Amino acid sequence: MTMTRSKWMTALPYVLILAVLALLPLSGNEYRALIGTRAAIYWVLIAGLNLVVGYAGQLAIGYVALFALGAYTASILAAGNVLPEVSPALALLAASGVGAVFGVVVGLPALRLRTFYFAMTTLGFATIVTQVALGWQDVTGGGIGLSGPSLPAPFDTAWGLYGLCVGLAMIATLITANVAHSRFGRALIATRDAEVAAEASGISKPALLVSVFLFAGAAAGLAGGLFAALQTYITPDAFTFDLSLLFFISILIGGRGSILGPLLGTIILTLLPEIAAPLAAWSTFVYAGLLLVIVLAMPGGIAALLNRENRKALPTGRVILPQQAALRSLLGEARRKQRLDLSGIVLRFGGLRAIDGLDLSVEPGEVHGLIGPNGSGKTTTLNVISGYYKPQEGRLTLGDSPLPAGLPVGRAARGICRTFQTPRIIGEETVLENVMVGGTLAGRATFVEALLSLPRARADERLIRERAVLALKAVGLDGLGDIRADRLQHSELRFLEIARGLMLHPRLVLLDEPAAGLSTIEIERLGALIKAISREGVAVLLVEHHADLIFDVCDRVTVLNLGRVLAHGTPAEIRVHKEVVSAYLGA
Amino acid sequence: MLYSILASGLAVGAVYALIGITYNTMFATSRVMSFTAGQLGMLGGVLGSMFILRLGLPLIVGLGATLLACAAIGVLTEFVAVRPVLKSLDQHLYVLSTLAFALLIQQVTAIEWSTEPQPFPRLFGIGDGVWDEKYWLPVATCAATIIGLEYLYRRTLIGRAFLAVAEDNFAARALGLPERNLRIASYALAAVVGGLAGFSGGELLLAFFANGPQLNFYGFIPVALGGLGNNRGAVIGGLALGLFQQAANFAVGGIFASVAVFVMFIAILLAAPQGLFGSSAARRV
Amino acid sequence: MPISEPEAPLLRVHGLHAGYGKVGVLHGVEMDIRAGELVTLLGPNGAGKTTLLRAISGLLPWDAGEIGFGGSSLRGVDPGKAGMLGLVHVIEGHRVFTQSTVTDNLLLAGYHLPRGERAARVEEALGYFPEIAEKRHALGGALSGGQQQMLAVAQGLVRQPKLLMLDEPSAGLSPVLVDRVFSVLARLRDKGVAVLLVEQLIEKALAVADRLYALSQGRIVMTASAQESDLPARLERAYFGVNCAPDETKEILAGNS
Repeated sequence: MTMTRSKWMTALPYVLILAVLALLPLSGNEYRALIGTRAAIYWVLIAGLNLVVGYAGQLAIGYVALFALGAYTASILAAGNVLPEVSPALALLAASGVGAVFGVVVGLPALRLRTFYFAMTTLGFATIVTQVALGWQDVTGGGIGLSGPSLPAPFDTAWGLYGLCVGLAMIATLITANVAHSRFGRALIATRDAEVAAEASGISKPALLVSVFLFAGAAAGLAGGLFAALQTYITPDAFTFDLSLLFFISILIGGRGSILGPLLGTIILTLLPEIAAPLAAWSTFVYAGLLLVIVLAMPGGIAALLNRENRKALPTGRVILPQQAALRSLLGEARRKQRLDLSGIVLRFGGLRAIDGLDLSVEPGEVHGLIGPNGSGKTTTLNVISGYYKPQEGRLTLGDSPLPAGLPVGRAARGICRTFQTPRIIGEETVLENVMVGGTLAGRATFVEALLSLPRARADERLIRERAVLALKAVGLDGLGDIRADRLQHSELRFLEIARGLMLHPRLVLLDEPAAGLSTIEIERLGALIKAISREGVAVLLVEHHADLIFDVCDRVTVLNLGRVLAHGTPAEIRVHKEVVSAYLGA
Repeated sequence: MLYSILASGLAVGAVYALIGITYNTMFATSRVMSFTAGQLGMLGGVLGSMFILRLGLPLIVGLGATLLACAAIGVLTEFVAVRPVLKSLDQHLYVLSTLAFALLIQQVTAIEWSTEPQPFPRLFGIGDGVWDEKYWLPVATCAATIIGLEYLYRRTLIGRAFLAVAEDNFAARALGLPERNLRIASYALAAVVGGLAGFSGGELLLAFFANGPQLNFYGFIPVALGGLGNNRGAVIGGLALGLFQQAANFAVGGIFASVAVFVMFIAILLAAPQGLFGSSAARRV
Repeated sequence: MPISEPEAPLLRVHGLHAGYGKVGVLHGVEMDIRAGELVTLLGPNGAGKTTLLRAISGLLPWDAGEIGFGGSSLRGVDPGKAGMLGLVHVIEGHRVFTQSTVTDNLLLAGYHLPRGERAARVEEALGYFPEIAEKRHALGGALSGGQQQMLAVAQGLVRQPKLLMLDEPSAGLSPVLVDRVFSVLARLRDKGVAVLLVEQLIEKALAVADRLYALSQGRIVMTASAQESDLPARLERAYFGVNCAPDETKEILAGNS
């Protein structure tokens, strides 16, 4: 089986790293144990941070703060100089807990603010933790510092601690890989690279990020506690910004959205000052230089270099051939049909009435065309339906219950999917993974279940994957599943977006100019696909400029002008409508 | 006591405000928030001390050399860390490239200058107590900078061109404005403002390589509170921050003053993500 | 006016392909405009009219083909240089600078001109639009949409065009104001300035134009003199007619269903 072989190829680098780590004690050199332990501890933190930086794309540059918090928490609790003394194990656990709490606190701005703000907040937090460690002398010992927790046997020797840390690093690798390969990992990448599409697939960014911040904070706190045990004595000097930079750059050198890359990055950056001793004074300079080079010259990092899949030639002369049988089995299971109703919608931007008293209904099983000149309010109408805009007046219902205005995240759960004028895809992920993002809501396992890869999480994966393969067949992208999405042609991306939407088992499909940039024959196939989707009982609302597509596939057409309905009727009626011809064609 | 809080609060506040203007000036023409803002403030102090104390240049020549060197760093920033990533602004690569460039500046300073705070020369020797020049100099510089910028933006064509590029880059380009050169010029201008911040605050903050990150953070707070690109907001926010920080310093001590500032910063941002004087977000779909 | 017979066009677009990223919008556009000619470019939404103007003025780099202006190639020429050559593009949506006054908006348009010449050019441009000349000290943001459009056209005039390209100057304007703007275009043509006018209002555009091009799905599908008869119906046929699937395609489709 090629499948198992490729799995072996994936596992091989990890096995090699593990073998080196297992053989290291044979050297008997305790300095090597120290370096190995340090690398393992860093990796415990970086593995968690990788989900924040590499997967969620949040630029957390001050994680040394959580590392320091963990170290001080463990040391203070184990020393018992403030609170009653606790066991080292409990102290490490508490360090992890404190890390988790502050991980979320520092992460809060990321839920609402721009990237730079979050980077700045973590940086500010790092500055402040160091200042507090220096100044709060009663507790932290100030500049003099305090001793770290001493672990019980067998972890009280250099090699014992080494074993513990390597073991924890392995666990960290496994569980972050579990998350990365679950619907949560894909959802994280979706919020990073295609936030709007993630939202349209029902992914709630705040909930997701809080889970990840908790986890990464806990890992950082634990790593800090272990670091304190390794150092035996800690001072604020041990937690400089250089260390933060090492964490952060390890991930960027490794490459976003990869586990192996950042692991190699961690090993390289930990060993670098050891191998090239004269570099030590210039280490921050080297790290910063590396960061600049990576950003400007190789944004893919090590992971991109390792990925041979990407350099394979793509099949040429590909054609998009939607398969109706696949579509039928994808949408076949009964789902209650619902009709979309808009009545009296008014949307004003300042003084401008972008939508001015719009009534519109789309029946299940119908393709409804929405046309009109530029600025007539077509895309705006889609945005109102999908919750990006909140109209000042009017009612919006799907089936019997209203759609809450201005709340895009809930739309996917109601069975509303949409495509975008510019396809919103995750270029760095494969075609199949892109489609699987659309199935995020279908999973039932929790984040913790995914961490541990429990049976329910594995069942989710199987189900989502099966449906995604089916969806690719349905839209005619069969056989392209393993290709990175950014290597596809533009027209294929349009069909990919539809496949992702179909994963929701939609009741209502909103298509925003799906034919733009397609060739004539692709437009005809798109038309057939749209028609087939509607015939499965799905309501389809189609915004399009290509008149021939509109007149070919629509059952009814509504013409907008200046935010109002100019006309509606069958395509045949619309074609001869005098006002329409003058408004739409501009005559 | 109250007067010394006021004096030192307004003084550091003015430095923060100037760093905030540095951020804004770079942001206006490029939509990039650059981590070099604080480093330019640091350089203003270090270069001032180097030119005047170490090399013994007269005040005016030392100031000119400092600002010229800062301007050169500003232009270099645009070339190295900003222009290459402008095409993919939405990927936020500028956060990383400007951070890396800022760290390079900081490390070179640490190695080539000193890792210890060095004295900054007394410039005029005017005033003492709360009227000491180290307090009023940053405030006066801040006021002069604002007047100068207002003159530039309101009375000169190049200033209006800056505003035009800031308001609508595409329309400015279509109108034939030399958008690229204007961006470079704005980075030089921002760097001069940042250098002035460090130079005028030199007697207060000393010539210390590690001032950069602090100034970065405390200079960013007024920008975040005032709204990106809003210089008036940055000045009000900067002075308010300085006073708050010094008052908290007096009330609860230096360490917890920083904690107080940080908590206030996060709380306000979560309550008003666009800043207190900012405008709403752009359309996403 | 004596015109020498084999006159080279002022603007020559040949085999132009352009688009955004992977999306091709223009597929081999051919277009000539002679000096002193008012040409209107028509076409349905999404046909690529705006893209074509942007490619010509250097706002959008193009992939293949050639654009020549006054005998020299425009490849790699940015809008600033194009303006100095006399090719001026007034973009869609009357995007004037709202924080600057009317005068300042016009002075900015003359950024490249020698300092002493600017004020005279500004006055000359304002001469065409007494409505905004009265408001020269008002901020751009305080003008009505129609006045902003006039200001945008006036900005173009300050740059002393040999060819003035306008992208839907009628959008959002009342009919009276559209007539005002178009009458200015006619006056410019009479002074020897070539005009390329992208329009939705076909009848008004044809009334003022000498010639028309129709663009559909990235190709020129029709060109005609504006005086010819039955143009609206012919345009409709041109727009819809381009997509008749060839027999070959139909066979492939039939084979698969």
